[in-house]
Amino acid sequence: MSLERPDRVDDDAVERTPDELEALLGDLVVDRDDHLNAPGFVIRPDTVQETLRTLKEQAGYDHLSVVSAQEYENRYESIYHLKKYDDPTQEVSIVVPADKDDPVSESAEPVFRTADWHEREAYDLIGIEYDDHPDLRRILLPETWQGHPLSMDYDKDRPQIATLPEHANPLEDHHKDAESDTMFLNIGPHHPATHGVLHLKTVLDGEQVADVEPDIGYLHRSEEQMAQSGTYRHQIMPYPDRWDYISAGLLNEWAYARAAEDLADIEVPEYAQVIRTMGAEMCRIAAHMLALATFALDINGDFTATFMYAINDRERVQNLLEDLTGQRLMFNYFRLGGVVWDLPEPREEFFSKTRDFLDQPPESVEEYHNLITSNEVFQMRTIDTGILPPEVAKNYGATGPVARGSGVDYDLRRDDPYGYYDELDWDVVTEDGGDNFSRLLVRMREVEESAKIIEQCVDLLEDWPEDERNIQANVPRTLRPDDDTEIYRAVEGAKGELGIYIRADGTDKPARFKIRSPCFSNLQTLPEMANGEYIPDVIAALGSLDVVLGEVDR
Amino acid sequence: MGTAPAQLFPEFIVDTLGLDSVIGEVAASLVAAFVVGNIILAFTGVAGPWAKRKITAAFTDRIAVDRIGPFGLLIIPAAAIQLLAKELIIPEGVDRPSWDIAPIILPSSALLGFSVIPMGQLGPINLHLADPEVGFALVFAFASIASVSLVMAGYASNNKYSLLGGLRAVAQNLAYEIPLIVTAMSVVIFSGTLQMSGVVGAQTETLVTIAGVSIPSWYALVNPFAFVLFLTANMAEIGRNPFDIPEAPTEIVGGYQTEYSSAYFVLFYLGEFVHIFLGGAILAVTFLGGASGPGPESISFIWFVVKIWGFFLFTQWARAALPRVRIDQLIEIGWKGMLVLSFANLVLTAVIVGVIA
Repeated sequence: MSLERPDRVDDDAVERTPDELEALLGDLVVDRDDHLNAPGFVIRPDTVQETLRTLKEQAGYDHLSVVSAQEYENRYESIYHLKKYDDPTQEVSIVVPADKDDPVSESAEPVFRTADWHEREAYDLIGIEYDDHPDLRRILLPETWQGHPLSMDYDKDRPQIATLPEHANPLEDHHKDAESDTMFLNIGPHHPATHGVLHLKTVLDGEQVADVEPDIGYLHRSEEQMAQSGTYRHQIMPYPDRWDYISAGLLNEWAYARAAEDLADIEVPEYAQVIRTMGAEMCRIAAHMLALATFALDINGDFTATFMYAINDRERVQNLLEDLTGQRLMFNYFRLGGVVWDLPEPREEFFSKTRDFLDQPPESVEEYHNLITSNEVFQMRTIDTGILPPEVAKNYGATGPVARGSGVDYDLRRDDPYGYYDELDWDVVTEDGGDNFSRLLVRMREVEESAKIIEQCVDLLEDWPEDERNIQANVPRTLRPDDDTEIYRAVEGAKGELGIYIRADGTDKPARFKIRSPCFSNLQTLPEMANGEYIPDVIAALGSLDVVLGEVDR
Repeated sequence: MGTAPAQLFPEFIVDTLGLDSVIGEVAASLVAAFVVGNIILAFTGVAGPWAKRKITAAFTDRIAVDRIGPFGLLIIPAAAIQLLAKELIIPEGVDRPSWDIAPIILPSSALLGFSVIPMGQLGPINLHLADPEVGFALVFAFASIASVSLVMAGYASNNKYSLLGGLRAVAQNLAYEIPLIVTAMSVVIFSGTLQMSGVVGAQTETLVTIAGVSIPSWYALVNPFAFVLFLTANMAEIGRNPFDIPEAPTEIVGGYQTEYSSAYFVLFYLGEFVHIFLGGAILAVTFLGGASGPGPESISFIWFVVKIWGFFLFTQWARAALPRVRIDQLIEIGWKGMLVLSFANLVLTAVIVGVIA
């Protein structure tokens, strides 16, 4: 796999106007197709690599967030949403139309490794073929699937047969010589440590991993298509809860809320933003606690006390979320323009419960440090294993605690502020190790930062004047954003950059709804961490990535 | 040497019932073995479905089984019925009969070990089946048969996870058996005998008297360093955390027991628990004065029970608290650390005993 990294240019952080970018790209640009969030340049399908390389090397756009693809009446289209890790508010969209009858487009994989999976998904669901792609296979659906479900001529009624072929050993021939032999091992889809239905095709050389390939799609539920068949106002909001279902619900809802509110130009009242911020950070604590718990399970083995302790702590924040939203898992609490209801009455009780909880974390965090991070066996197991260098992390589009554990200082709450985050006092946590231990440490420290945020929110909410408690902006009963407006917006979910791309077509339903899942990109880095390591380290690396398969597969 | 060894259990039966023939002696031995074996199996029955859950629950802030019977104790028969009533699934391509023999070898080898363990007195009965002169060597020999079972199970299961588990089991047992036995040898240097009763007897002498209370010369007190070494190697020998890597459920599913269900699974589980108790028994005999303790000699069995359950508790504690080491780290600790330390301990003990005595 290519790890080479082009030399960075000094003027990375310099913001360029759309016209300057157009001048930089010169003849490559065929047309302009601006999106609400970024300037968009239409290019020819055979100049994808050249364009992206120019932007990456000469303008510092080093983060390919997502590749979204769709079919129009007269063409196919792939959009490469580019950002900068140093400043994610600087965005640019590269729009690549492809021929309706023969949709072929050049692959971006040689420039951005992360394009590998994203383009496979576009091929799988839409049907665009990518030239020069190293491994253009279906990714979410079975190999034998007929047709591309999100394309226009897809026949829903056609019966599909998914066979169960015997797995071939992908490395056997060229990885074997007279002295050595490898063994192919299926880890999952049912395995105690895959955290859901994930299938790792693993090639072992003794106990060491020669090659590992994540095979995903077991939990694919057509979330994008379901969102496309729901109306903006109310019918889409319940779905985000089901992506990263490990109690990160409010964080996910915010991703849709932010994209749709910016698309329809809805202003959210400040009071609602504070409630959203508080709820979202509670979700983050719950999600990180579960990540900590299951990571301890992977390293310590079943029946470890750490697991139950962390679950207990998560339970307490879960109770607060239940008080706030009325639900424990599928919250459905956000509405476009606000939240569904105000804090539970009596407010004092909720505040005092929350404060009780906030008083506890420092103590319990201390206990986790005693139990795991300062345990020497634990350190032996996690330090310097599963290493993800920062440049590789960026190349794969890794975000969230995974990127921050590799020292990539990237957090959308601070870098692309939304909600009430920029008014509050908190820090972005990074660790430079890039190993399993660093990623765990980042999560543990983020829990403390989240607690800080919640505390400030509680202070604010307590003193909020009663007549200004507006939880909901005025939003039309039916939302019909203008035809042909497109937007990509992301928030900092529990696992990283959770983005939504929406194209409106003038109706009350999105014409294209694309989810940028942080787990999807993060999981792609697993082979980088795992190759050459021992099986237990692969399990540890997977645990430290903290993927939720509901979000990977969507 | 301390008090003269009491009459062995089979001899006691022969004398009491007056069975003065070869057949009588054989019958008495079988009856004695039956009683001892059942005591251990009863411990296992309590430990597996009930005590283990309760202990783990106590460590992890939970309640565990409490629905059936007082303190949930009736879960024991319920679990027995449930486990035995399950379908025995025989996967395609398993290598029979070794696949069937493996689950029998594990509990039997561990049970065999108890034949030479002096388990203390219960009333007039001395729960000690045999006391051969090489008893100390014998018990380690019995205990190490277990690895044969694990390799057989791992190989015969026709499953890659099982194979990995079997390989891990061999590597682990090789790396830890040697330090275990070398450390045990340092005890033999103290006691001067390989006979179990002799090893235990040597520990009844008074080491030091503090304020009228005489502390016995248990080898754990005489040589704590050897005790810690032995304890660590013992944990690896019986495959408990942090050395449970032959099973390692989060890595290799269940290791050698992945493909076993129903009665065979029970036998494996049983074998593991008997093995833990045997590990505790060896530890008690070697370092904790066997069945000795305060109070009359006639109830010393109770002390033995306390000691082996104490060891069981310790394994559960380690399981709740300690991370698992990685296979290469385990081998490294075994060969580069434990082996060197155990030989250093042996030489040092030999020199000290040689100079002082």
